[in-house]
Amino acid sequence: MTKSSDAKSDDRYLIWRLAKGLGQCLLALLLLVSILSLTACTKARSRFEPGVLRVNLGTEPPGLDWHTATDSTSFDVVSNLMVGLTQYTNDLTCAPSCAKSWEVLDDGKRYLFHIRDDLRWTDGKPVTAYDFEYAWKRLLNPATAAQYAFFLYDVVNARDYNTGKLKNADLLGIKAVDAHTFEVRLSKPAAYFIYLTAFCVSFPMRKDVVERFGDRWTEPENFVTNGPFKLTRWQHEYKMELSANPHYFDGPPKVKLVKMFMVPEASTAFALYENDELDFIDNRSFSTPDVERFRSSPEYKNFPLLRANYLAFNVSKKPFTDPRVRKAVAMAIDRSVFPRILRRDERPATSWIPPALPGYSPDSGLKFDPVQARALLAKAGYPGGKGFPKAELLYPNRDDVRLTVEATQDELKRNLGIEIELVNQEWKVYLATVRKDAPPMFRNSWGADYPDPETFMNLFTKDCGNNDTKWWSPEYDQLIQAAEGELDTKKRADLYRQADVMLCREAVPIVPTFLATQNIMVKPWVKGIAINPLDLQFFKAVEVGGP
Amino acid sequence: MIALILKRILLAIPVLLVVASLTFVLVRIVPGGPFDADKNLPPEIIANLNAKYHLDKPVPEQYFLYLGRLAQGDLGVSYKYVNRTVNDILSDAFPVSLQLGTISLTLAVMIGVPLGAIAAVCRGRREDVIAMFLSTLGISVPGFVIGATLIFVFAIELRVLPVGLWESPWHVVLPAVTLAFSPAAYLARLTRASVLEIVEKDWVRTARSKGLSQWSTVTKHILRNSLIPVVTVLGPLTAIVITGSFVVEYIYAIPGMGRFFITAVMNRDYDLILGTTLVFAVLLIVANTFVDVAYQILDPRMRLED
Repeated sequence: MTKSSDAKSDDRYLIWRLAKGLGQCLLALLLLVSILSLTACTKARSRFEPGVLRVNLGTEPPGLDWHTATDSTSFDVVSNLMVGLTQYTNDLTCAPSCAKSWEVLDDGKRYLFHIRDDLRWTDGKPVTAYDFEYAWKRLLNPATAAQYAFFLYDVVNARDYNTGKLKNADLLGIKAVDAHTFEVRLSKPAAYFIYLTAFCVSFPMRKDVVERFGDRWTEPENFVTNGPFKLTRWQHEYKMELSANPHYFDGPPKVKLVKMFMVPEASTAFALYENDELDFIDNRSFSTPDVERFRSSPEYKNFPLLRANYLAFNVSKKPFTDPRVRKAVAMAIDRSVFPRILRRDERPATSWIPPALPGYSPDSGLKFDPVQARALLAKAGYPGGKGFPKAELLYPNRDDVRLTVEATQDELKRNLGIEIELVNQEWKVYLATVRKDAPPMFRNSWGADYPDPETFMNLFTKDCGNNDTKWWSPEYDQLIQAAEGELDTKKRADLYRQADVMLCREAVPIVPTFLATQNIMVKPWVKGIAINPLDLQFFKAVEVGGP
Repeated sequence: MIALILKRILLAIPVLLVVASLTFVLVRIVPGGPFDADKNLPPEIIANLNAKYHLDKPVPEQYFLYLGRLAQGDLGVSYKYVNRTVNDILSDAFPVSLQLGTISLTLAVMIGVPLGAIAAVCRGRREDVIAMFLSTLGISVPGFVIGATLIFVFAIELRVLPVGLWESPWHVVLPAVTLAFSPAAYLARLTRASVLEIVEKDWVRTARSKGLSQWSTVTKHILRNSLIPVVTVLGPLTAIVITGSFVVEYIYAIPGMGRFFITAVMNRDYDLILGTTLVFAVLLIVANTFVDVAYQILDPRMRLED
């Protein structure tokens, strides 16, 4: 008996020793944490830092060289570091910026920009027309391998130079006449051209800086810019700091520092906002339940964007070779279902040109009309959906997209009696499939590059690399070409409207579904945040401070 | 021991070559390429891009070009992060993961091994049940649930720790605990099983019958011998934990390298995929070499085999 109780007490001693060790470790940890949080607390965590704006970029910008960048994260940063010949206002007109004025000559084929003479780079040197000439030639140089070089293909000889057919850059229609005059010659009149001068790819660039630092020229210690902010710190994959540029021609911005964090997980970013560690968040930092929770908060706002979602047909595949079938599908989808399931006030759309742009008409597209839809389907040989082959609808693997295609499948089954098979693929596999041999139906979206109907309408011309529907029509292409060269805004809008009717009411290779929205939350101490439909965020007018 | 290490280093070269070659082939088999994007590019521009990154050359030539650069320690360039090399990206990200991983691993060993030992010594008793309940919880609850729960409790409700980011030492606490959870639970189970096995051995009985105290029996005879399987798994576990976790880095917004194991593949960033895989392979080899060295310290019999 004594032996077993000995063993037991021995056991207890052992457990006690082990547990003590474990306890000590945990205690030490706890102590460390409390000391650390205490020191943090004694710094009296105020809810905001006056003059400092904290935002979430979501991810690391793939690159700040605006010739090789192609994504909205990079452009959001560059738009605050740089200004071009013109500048977008929040109502999307082009206002003078580096160019104080410009002349449109030779029936829209020649542009003469007059550069301001009080412009300075962040290192104090003047911004000249030569910086624009260098930048535009570099963009088109095949060695730069700029993905967005094609934006300047309307410039004389630009395509030939970019594709290597022409070696001499002096033959391009780009020239600095003197330090303050920049001349651009186009191969055809292009009414949307002026918008490109506000777009990131056309910003000026410093030859000496780019050549001296090579691939590292966008690192903060080398970077030279001309906009309201300058890049002072860049911890890759984590944070960027932009501080006010005292040399900015329009006067320094109202905040002294913008901290751009890269928080990839939306719920974390949202929690950071709730804990006053971020001052402003947008779609990148929202999950759908968060939108629901804060919909009624005065901090929440919602804006439509120029990003259109659509359902596309491969018109070379049966049964969608028959326009009546395509029209029946277009009329059988009640678009109001999308905001109901996605919960972000998406704007239902039946026409391809969004309401914010010239050429829009509410009557361009086919409206929801299940009776008419069934009649059309019957005429095409499938009364009540009988005999309709099971068609595939391909979509990229993303939660919100899955919801929209499921709703579409449901609408078509209910209103037409036809079965659609949903197939999903990982994003890059999806892109490769659609480009090589698109299935009968696929879901896609398109974001505007500039605020002009051209960016949407050009998509379905014969030679556009993004037209995966296999549909094209010489009349449509002629309308678009005529609109591109038309300088009278009213006539031009009318041409686009005619093309929109052809696209959404007559030939129907696509069914526009809805326009995406931007959802933001702004803390009460932040003033002057403005969202534009192109989703570019400008922070120069933002103020942080005051209750 | 030095001979063993030298042997390992020599063996590592063919292993790494196989890893690099297999990964090289696999990434090119997957459909979709690095420049496929929302906006399809004109073929001329794709041609410019492919030429810039030598992707226009035949695959065997690309392979030998890659090996040539690799031999010089150049892991290549990223196609997604345009102006950055893979060496740049990994040398920024790896130290962060290493820091977090080391803390987590220490935490996991400090908690897991004693917990397992307690459970084994008290087999069938309340302590055992509690310890095993905790470790089952740790193994079966995924990291994002643990992370979200910790954030909710400590950051949002109690407001004692930050939600995320990588600013100060107190930003390390929650991610380190989250990352340590599953390895600690795993180590606890392993230690328990191993201790239970050793307790039954004759020489343990001999030690006890000599009148050795329970403490000395457990620490000198039982624990030392039962650590062999624990040390075995510590090798790969170290490599996994210090290269970072996608989930933990995502939910706490930490700039480590764990995320690249996933995002590089999604972006078809070929060189970055190869770079992360190779770094992982090297660490695995190094960790396993340490394991072999540790065997020799723990078990003198193994020294003879060398």
